[in-house]
Amino acid sequence: MKNNEISVYIHIPFCERKCKYCAFVSYCLDEKKQDEYVEHLVKEINSFKTDKIVKTIYFGGGTPSILSEKNIRKIFDALHKNFTIKKNAEITIEVNPNSVTKEKFELYRHLGVNRVSVGVQSLNDWTLKKIGRLHNRKMAIRAVKDACKIFDNVSADLILGLENEKNTHKFAKKLVKLGVKHISSYLLEIHEGTPIFDSVKKGTFHLANDDKLAKLYAKLVTTLKKCGLWQYEVSNFAVKGFESQHNINYWIYGDYVGFGASAHSFLDGKRKQNANSLLDYYDNVVINDENTSKTAIEEKIFLGLRCFFGVSVKELKSLGYDIKKNANYLDFIAKGVLFEENGRFFLNDKYYLVSDFVINSLL
Amino acid sequence: MNNRLDHIRNFCIIAHIDHGKSTLADRLIELTGTVSKRDMQDQILDSMELEREKGITIKLAPTRLIYEYNGEEYTLNLIDTPGHVDFTYEVSRSLAACEGAILLVDASQGVEAQTLANTYLALDNNLETVAVINKIDLPSARVDEVKREIEDVIGLPAENCPCISAKEGTNVEDVLKAIIELIPAPKGDENGKLKCLIFDSHYDNFKGAICLIRVFDGKVKKGDKILMMQTKKVFEVTEVGIFIPMTKEVDVLSAGDVGYIAGSIKTIQDVRVGDTVTSADDPVDTPLAGYKEVQPVVFCGIFPVDGARYGELKDALDKLKLNDASLQFSPENSTALGYGFRCGFLGLLHLEIITERLEREFNLDIITTAPSVSYNVYKTNGDMLEISNPSNLPPQVEIDRIEEPMVKVNIFTPPDYVGAIMDLCQDKRGIYKNMTYLDKRRVELNYDLPLGEIIYDFFDSLKSRTHGYASFDYEPMGYSPSELVRVDILLNGEKCDALSMIVHKDKAYSRGRELAERLKKIIPRQLFEVPIQACIGNKIIARETISALRKDVLAKCYGGDITRKRKLLEKQKEGKKRMRKIGSVEIPSEAFMSILKLNDEE
Repeated sequence: MKNNEISVYIHIPFCERKCKYCAFVSYCLDEKKQDEYVEHLVKEINSFKTDKIVKTIYFGGGTPSILSEKNIRKIFDALHKNFTIKKNAEITIEVNPNSVTKEKFELYRHLGVNRVSVGVQSLNDWTLKKIGRLHNRKMAIRAVKDACKIFDNVSADLILGLENEKNTHKFAKKLVKLGVKHISSYLLEIHEGTPIFDSVKKGTFHLANDDKLAKLYAKLVTTLKKCGLWQYEVSNFAVKGFESQHNINYWIYGDYVGFGASAHSFLDGKRKQNANSLLDYYDNVVINDENTSKTAIEEKIFLGLRCFFGVSVKELKSLGYDIKKNANYLDFIAKGVLFEENGRFFLNDKYYLVSDFVINSLL
Repeated sequence: MNNRLDHIRNFCIIAHIDHGKSTLADRLIELTGTVSKRDMQDQILDSMELEREKGITIKLAPTRLIYEYNGEEYTLNLIDTPGHVDFTYEVSRSLAACEGAILLVDASQGVEAQTLANTYLALDNNLETVAVINKIDLPSARVDEVKREIEDVIGLPAENCPCISAKEGTNVEDVLKAIIELIPAPKGDENGKLKCLIFDSHYDNFKGAICLIRVFDGKVKKGDKILMMQTKKVFEVTEVGIFIPMTKEVDVLSAGDVGYIAGSIKTIQDVRVGDTVTSADDPVDTPLAGYKEVQPVVFCGIFPVDGARYGELKDALDKLKLNDASLQFSPENSTALGYGFRCGFLGLLHLEIITERLEREFNLDIITTAPSVSYNVYKTNGDMLEISNPSNLPPQVEIDRIEEPMVKVNIFTPPDYVGAIMDLCQDKRGIYKNMTYLDKRRVELNYDLPLGEIIYDFFDSLKSRTHGYASFDYEPMGYSPSELVRVDILLNGEKCDALSMIVHKDKAYSRGRELAERLKKIIPRQLFEVPIQACIGNKIIARETISALRKDVLAKCYGGDITRKRKLLEKQKEGKKRMRKIGSVEIPSEAFMSILKLNDEE
């Protein structure tokens, strides 16, 4: 990790329709409101000063692909004006199959985007409908195909954990065949306040139980391995060399700055989060401003154990935590839950799905 | 001077729980103007918050009432008594301080188990007992029938007894009149040698331990040197006083009086309920009869949920003991629960009160292990051990025999439930003694039962099987031999000492199985499969398996939101703090109480 580098996150909190499971900050607003938002976003970018070189940029949401050409250009202009962007910097944009077109892909490439992440979620029409997505299997495949024609580095998201969705691993295989180099497969989490939460409570929507989920997950992991993707984090798989540099930066404790409503930043050991609501954001309200000197040990452990690079024993010790004195740690090593290599310890990937249990026993 | 004694009455009120004792006491206080109506708080004498909540009186609070009758002024000393079986000895000493008792009976409930038990206690102490029927305002009141019940079951004349409603204040004056007319004035020689009975004590931060006393002979005043005849301790009196019901210092307490003595007594252990106080310079030869050292009968382990708070738990117990001489505790070390205390109580209610006070007044999170009784274990080498902690039971081969404490149980019930109660007593290894039909609606059942079965959800089962219509009471009746074994629980092959229990041989299998099943439900899945085994010695009698945890992963770190993930982990960790570790198995603290609830699903 180089200290003179930084990652940039841009949050686009707009969607055509909010998915039923989504608890992120996102609004269904018209273009005029989007213009207003982008104006503030650009203002925020302009007011941020750093000497660090940008190594990755990530447009997340919401649905960044909803933005008009004019607006996306404005943001890129601001970025170029304010930052020194590394040559070959990884620049990702999240797109939804229903709001992306070939023309947009061309535009993104023209602006410097070199990686797209397609919100496929499923290739089963029934499932897609159930979770409130606006696209179907056909549209998803079309979007992925288009993306792969224009970009070398395409990622797809798949959601895991619906009771009746047993084919996630097959979808993954299909996507890889289409040319996808990276798969993120997140377990469906149910948050209070989302329509899915209510449906689950009412019993009209069913989640896979833990045992089933473990099986689905194991199937997915094996299938992707067979397809030549390696698991570099609990939920992330990639062809070697196509790992998401932006996400890795989060996990290795690298600096990053987030622009937009609800965006998070981590700079010089301090975390902060912009306000969730647009109006508060426009008033420059910052929530969750905290120093990480106290939380560094915990964060390093849970970030490191969730992915391939593990945790440095020496670094923990320098922070005041001698993990080798932890009885649970020794027990986990003895049982093969954790393993040590070159002064770092790692979670055996068999235990990724119970990583919180392991992490909690070490904190 | 006899004139003074003639104008004193010392009395108490005895009643079954909920028959309205505290309400009557309040009415009497109000009626005699002892406390102005404005200052009346409901149920003055139940001073502890917990007592108010449970609607029961635990600690005794005496009160001096002044009442004018036929133009003469009388001093009536009311000594309130706890109604619960756990405190029988304290009740008996309170009764010993009186000449008479008001037997209060609910007009709709009639005679109950505690009514009878307390009446016997009053008779044992030669008290003149006056029946009073309460709650005549209730639509379900059956005054005439209850009068007959009192005459038939208890053998007290009730034809002309006061019939009152303490709640509404109806006929309460009749009670005061009956006290003066029917209860004898105290006798005693105020010029004789000092002889007082300690019927209660409490601890005051400024004055030290306070003796609540009844003076039988002589006088006591500030500056006197007094001797506690049991503990042989000598103190100088720093204050004497009476209760109105707040304490009020007076110059002297004389024969016939009820009041308190303070003497810079540092520990309440020196003030034994039932002890006789006399003059250190001129003592009497023999103490008052009836002194007993109270022995705890129910035991359990108390541990802090957070092991680091052991010191706080110790301080809290020390403080409670200041005011409660019957509470006993000694340090205990459990492999499962770490450092804590083995505590002894007078009964289950006492246990419950102490644990609740620890949690409420001292803000402690505690784990209590299943209550146990004290067994007499005779070893083959002739030694006898008193074992109140199952894990201290010696190996089977070293045991010649075990004796367990037995109690005589009296149950009053409507006839409809006789069958259900007999089943219950049978199930609890009871020995049937007698059954008497008192009248059409009431049967008295007598059983001998092991105390160990009484403390194991007997009361709840009785209540549920009789819809609360039965009442019961018991008294200890010594030890008797029994075929008892210890059932241990192994988690992942490691013994969890805090879950061991001593049970009768015939019940070992079913209890072991039930406990294993229950633990399976309570203990969350772990990283690896966890076998739960119940065993006697090396013999496994039941096995359950908790399958391995399959999923425990949350929150992707989306858009760099590390804070959210960390907070979720912290929340999980908070939950873990309440867990105990046996080997590599994490157990929630509730698991240790689960033995208690084994019969819930009956």
